[in-house]
Amino acid sequence: MSQSQSTGTQPAATRVLTVDDSASMRALLRNALVSRGFEVEQCEDGQEALEWLAGNEVDVIITDINMPRLDGFGLIERLRSSALHADRPILVLTTESSDEKKQRARQAGATGWIVKPFDAEKLTTALRRVAH
Amino acid sequence: MIQGQVRTSGADDVEFSTILGSCVATCLFDPVARVGGMNHFLLAQPPEETRDGGFDANYGLFLMELLINEMMQQGAIKTRMKGRLYGGANINADLGEIGSANAAFARNFLAGEGIEKVFEDLEGTRARRIQFRPASGLVRCREVEPLAAPRDKPLARPQSALGNVELF
Repeated sequence: MSQSQSTGTQPAATRVLTVDDSASMRALLRNALVSRGFEVEQCEDGQEALEWLAGNEVDVIITDINMPRLDGFGLIERLRSSALHADRPILVLTTESSDEKKQRARQAGATGWIVKPFDAEKLTTALRRVAH
Repeated sequence: MIQGQVRTSGADDVEFSTILGSCVATCLFDPVARVGGMNHFLLAQPPEETRDGGFDANYGLFLMELLINEMMQQGAIKTRMKGRLYGGANINADLGEIGSANAAFARNFLAGEGIEKVFEDLEGTRARRIQFRPASGLVRCREVEPLAAPRDKPLARPQSALGNVELF
């Protein structure tokens, strides 16, 4: 990861990948995170995220659950079985409020669970906490 | 239906109805799956500490997403959905242009998501009564006396667990 810097320089910004099929949600997340000092990459579904992550690194992933092609559960399972992303923090950001879905995300290997509508300050705090 | 609600159905004998002042109702319909749904929203006031005079698009987006996700769970497909928008009147001068802000949000949302908007009856100064049959996509919209509309105010964001972060 690109966090270690020589003394006296700014620490590198935390890099976040957001995965969501809604263009409006992507715009809102980008705006909320960039204005709070994060570096933001975005993918439209789990499949695109998998392909992008095969050749790129980020500090934290935020993913939706309901998406075409590959949903959030599938994305988490695939990343957990890859050597590169087995320990990557993954936060689920979803309108789903059922305990069953939450447990499924947990078992798939998610790091945390956030119910929309998100609160930018709480989201930022969580990102800084899990980024390493 | 009242402000903050989302309903979806594919049953022929179901009809959703609501009265709109400055709120907007989005009626979505998938003609192939014959599944439809409606939401009724007013952009919320953002949480106290982040308030900057605007309205919370995150909250409107939440009700749009709930609507789309519930329809998809009943067999609808997003790219087939057609949208109709109603409401967003600027009835109460005390609320400024909140009706227009709601209308602009809804138009931008459909455009951004690639959902075809087949009809809109938005803004103006009259309250509206909407009746929507989700399985056929038919909507009837009538103007009603402003007094019939609920006195909508942008509420603070619901204080429930929304937005809370649970780390496993």
